[in-house]
Amino acid sequence: MDPLTLLLPPGDRRIFLAWLVLGLISLAVLWSVTEPIQGPYEQLDPGVQKGVFYRQILWLCISYCAMLVAARLPLRYLNSIAIPLFLFSLLLLVLILVAGPTIGGARRWLVLGPMRIQPSELAKVTFILVTANILGRSTTGSRSLFAMLTSFVVMVVPLMLVLREPDLGTSLVFLAVWVGMVFWYGVPGILLVGAGSAALSAIISFYSESVVHQAWPWAVYLLGLLIVLYLVRLSIPAKVTLLSLNIVTGIGIPFFWDKLKTYQQERILTFFDPSRDAFGSGYQAIQSKVAIGSGGLFGTHYLQGTQKGLAFLPERHTDFIYSVVGEELGLLGAVFLLAVFLIVIMRGVHHGTVARRPFARFLAIGVVTYFTFHVVVNVAITTGLLPVTGLPLPLISYGGSNLLTSSLLLGLLLNVSSRSFDD
Amino acid sequence: MAPDRDLFLRNRIFRAVVIALFLVLTINLFVMMVPRHSFYKDQALENRQVRFRVRAPRGRILDRFGTILADNMYIADITVPPSSVAETGPDSTLARLMSWFQLPRQETLERLQQAKAKHRGRRRLVLVANASMSRISAVEERGRQLPGVRVESRPRRRYIFGPLLAHMVGYVGEVGQAELDTTDGVTGYRLGDIIGKQGVEAAFEDVLRGSSGVKLEEVNASGRVVGRRAVWLQDVTPGNDVTLSISLPLQNALADAIGDRTACAVAMSTVTGEVLAAYSNPSFDPNLLTVSITSEEWARLVNDPAKPFFNRIVAATYPPGSLYKPVTSLAGLGLGLVTTTSVLEPCLGGWEFGDRFFRCWKRGGHGEVDHTEAMVHSCDTFYYQLGLRLNIDQLAEAAAHFGLGRRCSRIFPEEAAGNIPTTAWYDRRFGVGGWTRGVLLNNAIGQGEILVTPLQMTLLTARIASGGAVPNPVFVVSPVQPLIEPVLLPYEEAHMDWCREALVQTVARGTGKAAILPGIAVAGKTGTAQNPHGEDHAWFMCYAPADRPEVAFAIIVENAGHGGSEAAPVAGQWLRSYFAKELELSALENTASERAGEAN
Repeated sequence: MDPLTLLLPPGDRRIFLAWLVLGLISLAVLWSVTEPIQGPYEQLDPGVQKGVFYRQILWLCISYCAMLVAARLPLRYLNSIAIPLFLFSLLLLVLILVAGPTIGGARRWLVLGPMRIQPSELAKVTFILVTANILGRSTTGSRSLFAMLTSFVVMVVPLMLVLREPDLGTSLVFLAVWVGMVFWYGVPGILLVGAGSAALSAIISFYSESVVHQAWPWAVYLLGLLIVLYLVRLSIPAKVTLLSLNIVTGIGIPFFWDKLKTYQQERILTFFDPSRDAFGSGYQAIQSKVAIGSGGLFGTHYLQGTQKGLAFLPERHTDFIYSVVGEELGLLGAVFLLAVFLIVIMRGVHHGTVARRPFARFLAIGVVTYFTFHVVVNVAITTGLLPVTGLPLPLISYGGSNLLTSSLLLGLLLNVSSRSFDD
Repeated sequence: MAPDRDLFLRNRIFRAVVIALFLVLTINLFVMMVPRHSFYKDQALENRQVRFRVRAPRGRILDRFGTILADNMYIADITVPPSSVAETGPDSTLARLMSWFQLPRQETLERLQQAKAKHRGRRRLVLVANASMSRISAVEERGRQLPGVRVESRPRRRYIFGPLLAHMVGYVGEVGQAELDTTDGVTGYRLGDIIGKQGVEAAFEDVLRGSSGVKLEEVNASGRVVGRRAVWLQDVTPGNDVTLSISLPLQNALADAIGDRTACAVAMSTVTGEVLAAYSNPSFDPNLLTVSITSEEWARLVNDPAKPFFNRIVAATYPPGSLYKPVTSLAGLGLGLVTTTSVLEPCLGGWEFGDRFFRCWKRGGHGEVDHTEAMVHSCDTFYYQLGLRLNIDQLAEAAAHFGLGRRCSRIFPEEAAGNIPTTAWYDRRFGVGGWTRGVLLNNAIGQGEILVTPLQMTLLTARIASGGAVPNPVFVVSPVQPLIEPVLLPYEEAHMDWCREALVQTVARGTGKAAILPGIAVAGKTGTAQNPHGEDHAWFMCYAPADRPEVAFAIIVENAGHGGSEAAPVAGQWLRSYFAKELELSALENTASERAGEAN
């Protein structure tokens, strides 16, 4: 093997190219974000330090190495150490809850000298590995309810731990990735429809109860559901179960709502109407939309964004970096970025379909779901389609832990893609 | 193991879901960035540039020597935008402010609700009015934790001498709904602007207010002004000062002389008509009205039976009583119906007319008196007879020569014209033939339907003293008021001199002895205004020095009884202050005019 091949990851070149492009876009945007704020604004807002840009370069190098390793480790070996790795990451999650430092009101970080590491990021990787391990055990290809239940329990544990930190955004990643992988495993469609419609019923019921204070949206939804159930071919018990599930969640949500803390309620209500708290939690949502919308077709051009430069955009180098992309690079840049992610996802789905070993298939689809969830939710938040919750844009947002995790996961995807016809 | 058929189905479903999600994102992006682009673009610009309207500092009000009577002080308020402040949550802006400043929770939330309801929540809510330095610095230091919160300085009118000049200077308040600028640019008044509500503050509003400016300022994310590059779209023009003719030392002396009597007095230069002092007691502190006054305080002021808000100087009307007798005399002399030495039927304590007996104030009667003695001792019986020789309109015409029966200050909107009845007036009031010449008896001694204000009585005195050279009372010397031509009194100089001499005698040996000054001759007339509601009001009017008039003075003491015993002493006390201060005043006036000369 010539040294050049050794320095490049194996497998799907398009995925590696996407990693490279995303890494470079990240650096370009971070350079812009860390440009000093002009004139008198400097005194009021120190801005984002240039160090962020250089640290991101360092993290990219580290992540590249991690990706190389992840892409070259034998999958069989990864499968065998999945459970111990997962248990180790759970241990770290418990550790920070017990003994971790509280930073910004949350216990999310493990402090090792100059570095701060988020164990929840490592847990995402090991969770995908262990779920792929559990779901990939069945050799006959038949679905096992036991495997699904086991994977559910395995998902709930880190989810609850991360929720306690608290970190709502990250904990939802576990749920989303599990749904994606279990779907790939072949969960009965009726279950997915049941869960999905129940969630929808809860959201619409909440909207009726707490936002418009009128019963009709939920009533209309239930009526629609009844009509659909009447039209589709399904057993009577299944229909009854589905309907009662919808009614129970719909009625139950107001009680759950009352249990929430006032600030949590306020946060959610602000999502439906950001002007409720234009200078508080609605502020990010409003400013982010203004930044993106003011970008226009071609953007305000690189380094020229006024929203980011004048410090109107909070978290502009981390969770809200996509608004800077929108503002400075316009619709073209924003859609280009989405397209690159879409390529990664579509290639991932392909490899998750054609891989021979079940473990590799589930691994690929876990990675794909991870990226899909992160990208869709992050972009939806920055464009005001979802309520604000902390979730980085993979490979673009500043932050070592997430960059490392995302690169590791892409390394695993490259690994799957390179071995798909082996064995 | 070959991938089963189901896997390919799931592959297609998965791809379809991903594509659908990305499509939603892309469409949303497109909508935001292409059709709605200009909306967000404007928002982004608005984010940075905020138009600030800068209120003009209101002009000051000075006394004739330049002493400041009303000026502006600046106080700082901590304000929040009501529509965009979250009310709940432990880390909300409002919660922080409430805990730092220990604001009463319930009351604060109620005020926020009210502010949201009012003016569509556009007007900033003053959370802490007249904030202390420590609170201001707390907000300034922790600004980033308090988005939207501002420290706003606001000028507050300060009336340095409080109640002393309240009725003349007046007071300011926030513009009312009626004065608001709804048509943009006609009146220029916006919500929260200050407008003169009473007195000179209201009369000279256009001089005092100046015009507001508009500037564009760049703000940061917390809404705080940053940068010093304000762009002025329209400059601020400060309001101009208004200089009153009032002399503060003389005003003080007048308030001291009146003490706690319910009374009103006006002093005026007989040369220029400038009002030197004018005081209506009880008064009120206008400073109370520039801050948010509590409803109890307001109710106490408004319901006070002594009526502190009532500007008696120009708004209170009383029958002039015997102060009117010089008018009756001059009317009779002018028409040749009587001479200065005429002797009419003797006074036997009254005069019978028709089936009614009109009493003289002196029950025992004055006996046989000539015209001069009738004036000096204020013999009603003589004037009943004189009145019957006149007719109503002749008497009214004489009164008009002295400025009675019409508003003479033209400054105070609450000013009353008084009432000088004419034939037409009586016909309107009682119907043609519904009244008799008997009203003349009452009119001749200043009773009946005649009503005058204290200011008019001072003007009457000044015109008698100057022979008509004083056109009208002047309250403001700068900006210079349009000149009014002196009136020409159609009376022979001999008659005027006789009248003046009679007034001198009145003080020297008649009813006005209480106003005698050592070394300076005072001419004056006492009066008693009949009050059907209670004790009579005591009048006194005078001018001095009698040989070379400088100052005219009139006073009414409500419910006090006889003018000679109750009103004349106050006049005497004030005149003593006037002449004691005269030297030092003229010195001051000289330096003031020198300074003005240098400035030119």
